[in-house]
Amino acid sequence: MTEMEDAIKVNNLVTHYGDRVILKSISFAVPRGQTTVILGGSGCGKSTLLKHLIGLLRPTSGQILINNGNIAAMNEGELDEIRKKMGVLFQGAALLNSMTLADNVALPLREHTKLEDSTIQIMVRMKLDLVGLSGFEHFFPSQLSGGMKKRAGLARAMALDPEFLFFDEPSAGLDPVTAAGLDKLILKLRDVFKMTIVVVTHELPSVFMIADYVIMLDLGDVVFAGTLDELRISEHPRVRMFLERRPETEVYSPEDYFRFIAGD
Amino acid sequence: MTVTLKEMNGKKIMALAGEIDMSASPLLRKELMALVKKKTDPLLIDFENVSYIDSSGIATFVEGLKGMMAFGGKLKLAGMPSGVKEIFSFSKLDRVFEIYGSIDDAINS
Repeated sequence: MTEMEDAIKVNNLVTHYGDRVILKSISFAVPRGQTTVILGGSGCGKSTLLKHLIGLLRPTSGQILINNGNIAAMNEGELDEIRKKMGVLFQGAALLNSMTLADNVALPLREHTKLEDSTIQIMVRMKLDLVGLSGFEHFFPSQLSGGMKKRAGLARAMALDPEFLFFDEPSAGLDPVTAAGLDKLILKLRDVFKMTIVVVTHELPSVFMIADYVIMLDLGDVVFAGTLDELRISEHPRVRMFLERRPETEVYSPEDYFRFIAGD
Repeated sequence: MTVTLKEMNGKKIMALAGEIDMSASPLLRKELMALVKKKTDPLLIDFENVSYIDSSGIATFVEGLKGMMAFGGKLKLAGMPSGVKEIFSFSKLDRVFEIYGSIDDAINS
């Protein structure tokens, strides 16, 4: 890790939803050209963190340095420029249902480049082929399975050949074979296009297949940051619980539970 | 990206330098399609000084090759650095384009 160049650096990031603190002054770095997995249980703040990394949410305090520019302090115009370097695959794929797959993929190219439509059409076919959707250009999102929607969303995320690719729970709702296919594609993108990839997930099989570097969040804190090999031998109790799929112990004493449900 | 047109042994060469990205591809397309329209045959592309090509650049060469094939012309790509060649290989297009190790190889082919 020490010899790696950092593509993203997060310094003392704090964020709240209302009065509730979600991320508690976290700091970490994402190495360039590698796949970093942000791991953690439900509600640990990992999707919130992802939204900060892509500039969709503003933190309460702290810095998010992308290529050394602090996106937490950027105005919307500056953020738009940096977002052109980012592709995002959202959990629900976020395709526009009124458009064909070809038009969904072409949209960022039409919005942000001066390329001729003939060039864009070739690029759209290239991107759809890359995700195994050749021949589906004229399909609408409603005509696709969940796995196909994810792959179409990935084709659109890659439309502008981004430097950074972010995935929010890519395996969610997919069968194991389709999920493994998506993992393989993530590895291919890293190797050929040298993309910096950030994947938010809690799926352990995916983590062990794709991760070069792992950041584990727990209750809004970073409890682990290191390589996959370091994760395997980590003695941190929360990491061990997660890797060994051990359930939480009782949170409440019977007396606390009674007080809670009695409304005292 | 810069585009330089030259001629060696009676063969037209388009020498490219720099990054072929989404902001450069419209210029590349204009220059390339102008030569295709003139039915320049063969047309040699020198990649020696190209540091990067993205999918818009690849798509532009696909358009160029399609135009050349329409009149039976030859488009020959030469001198690709390994990173650039890897992108062509990844998209399986290294088997469709005529690719030569150096511009001299392409001239003598």
